Amino acid sequence: MNDVLVGRALAKRFGQTVALGGVDIAVRAGEAVAIMGPSGSGKSTLLHCLAGIMKPDGGEVHLLGRRIDAMGERKRSALRRTRFGFVFQFGQLLPELPAEENVALPLMLGGVPRAQAVRRAREWFAPLGLHSMEARRPGELSGGQAQRVAIARALVSRPAVVFADEPTGALDQQTGQETMRLLVEATKHNDASLIVVTHDPNVAAWCDRTVEVRDGHLLAGAPHPAGPHPAGPHAAGPHAAGPHAAGPHAAGPHPAGPHPARPHPGGEAVHGPKDGTRA
Amino acid sequence: MNLDLTWRLLKGGGRRGLLGTWLTLGAVAVATALLLFAVAANFAFGARAERTAWRNPVPAASGAVAVEASRYDFVRDRAITVIDLAALPGESPAPPPGLPRFPAPGEVWLSPALAALARELPAGELADRYPGPEGVLGDAALVHPGELVAVVGHAPDAPAMTAQRSEDWIIAKPPVKVASLAGEPSEDAEAYQVLSAIASVLMVVPLLVFGGAAARLTVARRDQRLAALRLVGATPGQVVAMTVAEAVIVALAGALVGTAVFALCVPLLAGIQMQGGPWFAGDLFPPPLVLAGVLVAVPLLVGLSAVAGLRRVVVSPLGVAKRETPPAMRFVRVLALIAVLAAFPMLSQNTSVTVVVVALALAFLCVNLAGPWVVGVIGRITAASARGPARLLAGRRLVDDPRSAWRTVSGVALTGFVAGFLGLLSPAAFDEGAAGPPALRVTAPAGQAEEVAGRARERLGAADVQATVKTAANGVVVATLHGTPGVAALDRARTALAGLVPGRTPTTKTDDQRFGIEVLADVRVGTIVVLSVSFLVAIASSGITATSSVLDRRQTYALLRLAGTPLETLDRARRAETLIPLAVMGGGAILVGAFCAIPFMIGGVNAVGMATLGGCVVLGFAGVIGAGALSRPLLRAVTADPAPRPD
Repeated sequence: MNDVLVGRALAKRFGQTVALGGVDIAVRAGEAVAIMGPSGSGKSTLLHCLAGIMKPDGGEVHLLGRRIDAMGERKRSALRRTRFGFVFQFGQLLPELPAEENVALPLMLGGVPRAQAVRRAREWFAPLGLHSMEARRPGELSGGQAQRVAIARALVSRPAVVFADEPTGALDQQTGQETMRLLVEATKHNDASLIVVTHDPNVAAWCDRTVEVRDGHLLAGAPHPAGPHPAGPHAAGPHAAGPHAAGPHAAGPHPAGPHPARPHPGGEAVHGPKDGTRA
Repeated sequence: MNLDLTWRLLKGGGRRGLLGTWLTLGAVAVATALLLFAVAANFAFGARAERTAWRNPVPAASGAVAVEASRYDFVRDRAITVIDLAALPGESPAPPPGLPRFPAPGEVWLSPALAALARELPAGELADRYPGPEGVLGDAALVHPGELVAVVGHAPDAPAMTAQRSEDWIIAKPPVKVASLAGEPSEDAEAYQVLSAIASVLMVVPLLVFGGAAARLTVARRDQRLAALRLVGATPGQVVAMTVAEAVIVALAGALVGTAVFALCVPLLAGIQMQGGPWFAGDLFPPPLVLAGVLVAVPLLVGLSAVAGLRRVVVSPLGVAKRETPPAMRFVRVLALIAVLAAFPMLSQNTSVTVVVVALALAFLCVNLAGPWVVGVIGRITAASARGPARLLAGRRLVDDPRSAWRTVSGVALTGFVAGFLGLLSPAAFDEGAAGPPALRVTAPAGQAEEVAGRARERLGAADVQATVKTAANGVVVATLHGTPGVAALDRARTALAGLVPGRTPTTKTDDQRFGIEVLADVRVGTIVVLSVSFLVAIASSGITATSSVLDRRQTYALLRLAGTPLETLDRARRAETLIPLAVMGGGAILVGAFCAIPFMIGGVNAVGMATLGGCVVLGFAGVIGAGALSRPLLRAVTADPAPRPD
């Protein structure tokens, strides 16, 4: 199996409330998975446990075969910095840093010299459609632009998994779709897996598959998809076949949803810098 | 309606809002307590000056009723003020303060402390100098509770009331005919008042800065919400009214708490040794009107500061929400400082005190004006030269909000100004303790030196004191004690020689330097008090600003931590953000303060002043780092929140 991230029997409670009641999930290399569910279903808790932000009360999390949930906070911090990337709804950019320094920050935290870090950060701007935005401060960027800077920052240290928590939550429909396209394509191109928490089916539709969380459990019918998944973002219609058609989304937006727009509405595919150096 | 809404905003601010409110309240309380202290010190010195005015006679042009003279006597290493009084024939003058009646010839009245000491020591060492005391002096006659004072009644034609006294006004005042014993505050009492006025200025300016920082803390909490109110259509007037109302309510509560704290601290403050002793607690309480004035002024100033902080929100409802870059500082701020500093070399020790105090206050305020500009420049340099993330974050943050960074360090920087000023100003130490065995000297009346020396030998022999008595130039009789006599033997000799020459006290060289030593000690105590207050303010304000900075940026910090930034890096960035400007500004302020002190320097730079300065630098840095570290648990707490959401 080429599972990158595996969660087994994950359990977490907050006081009397059961947030996770024994969840099993596996994410494969290069796969994009959407975690859906209503508010309070436990989807954010699942993301936090998988990302090593929160320690589960029970169960295990493995990254590339290494158990990470039992690590100390320091090790988990280092892991988040080097192996994971994060995109949040908003607010993750430091308002006083120019965009390029925001992107370079994870590299600098990892010990890359400033000049080199900024140079590597700049390589992400053109592919993400952020021409000449390098020196702008977050306050001078639109919401969509800020999210693209955040995507660049999540990917700049070549993570194994990118976690996105409602990445389009603060954007309008069209900008949100464009942002999701860039996020999914850039992640795939960099061979990273993507885990998106969302309540928006249009966002989930960009992913290879969707898992539903209800009351701390994965909904039946949304397990690991059968068969090998088409690799790369350019495979035609990844959703045409697969579990979704038979799953709870049968009537959902996937088949006819936003996908027509998927083959590069902007024309050019997102590749990101190709130097291939991994942090 | 406004007030009601304000009250609900205040109450419903949530944990974060309430924390800001409590911090403001605490800051205002500390500021008020210290402000009261700074103000009260002036009244306390004023009270001392007035109580001792009767000892400083004003020569009567006509209608004289009494003769008054004074001199100093010594016991152990303390000075005794001896006041000689005589009613003129046929007159019955009103008694001086603290005495039930005008002393009749031969009567002796002692201060309580002197009376106690006279009972405690063997009679031959002290009590015999003031035989048969009539009673004790009341507090109204004394500088401080422990003061040693003797009032001796004489006949107007007694030798003590007619003989010459020392030419040095510090050591003795010759007999003067007076119309009343009201007198006037002495020159040294007035000098103390001037010094305390300067000290107050040095303490009040950082306090005002601190109060302003505290007020903005409330506003920072409310910025977002008030901008939202503006967006839904509140008029600028309503927003201002609500903010001011909120700030003033909190500030008034803080001012009341601060007054209570000050009142509780008075017994402690009264223990500060000044002019040879501690204080009457009553002297340290400012008059009720002044107290009321402070209670009105503090909330008013906090309200004004809040309005100033709100300007941006009021001008543009989007101002806060969009996080626009504030306009760069104007260089005019620095020009103002340079202009004031250029005026300083024109001052000298002869310049009127008012001008000096005003110039000092202006220089102080201009350091405060130029501060944010310099911090901005420091930020640019730090960011440009940063190689690691901590310094980069710190530098960018300094450029982004130089005012808030300045607020963190301003207190210590302004203290640096005070330390620099006082460090140079401390007069050089006196040559304490003349070498060789102690010798008592007294000037005999012209032509009587030999006869006085003979009587001195007899008296010392009778008192069993081994001494060699010789006459020296200018009719001075010197009694050199044999061997290494203890303080008891010296006091026996003093007592034996008391009244040998009417109106003159036999003194050692150390006695003659006693006043210089005392003034030096007082300047040192004063310096330490001013610096302690400044440091308290500085450390409290840096703690407050560090806390509010964590609260303001909690979401950013939390997300950074989430993305794997180690807590230490965040903390390092925070520290660099404070320490880099602190080092530059603190050093700069010390230099500016020292520059301002140059015109008033007496003699060269002295070691004690430099040591004080060095101590200040160390304490300042340690205090700011410590105060910043106090907010570290808060940083840990806000970043431990696994799901940071914007409020």
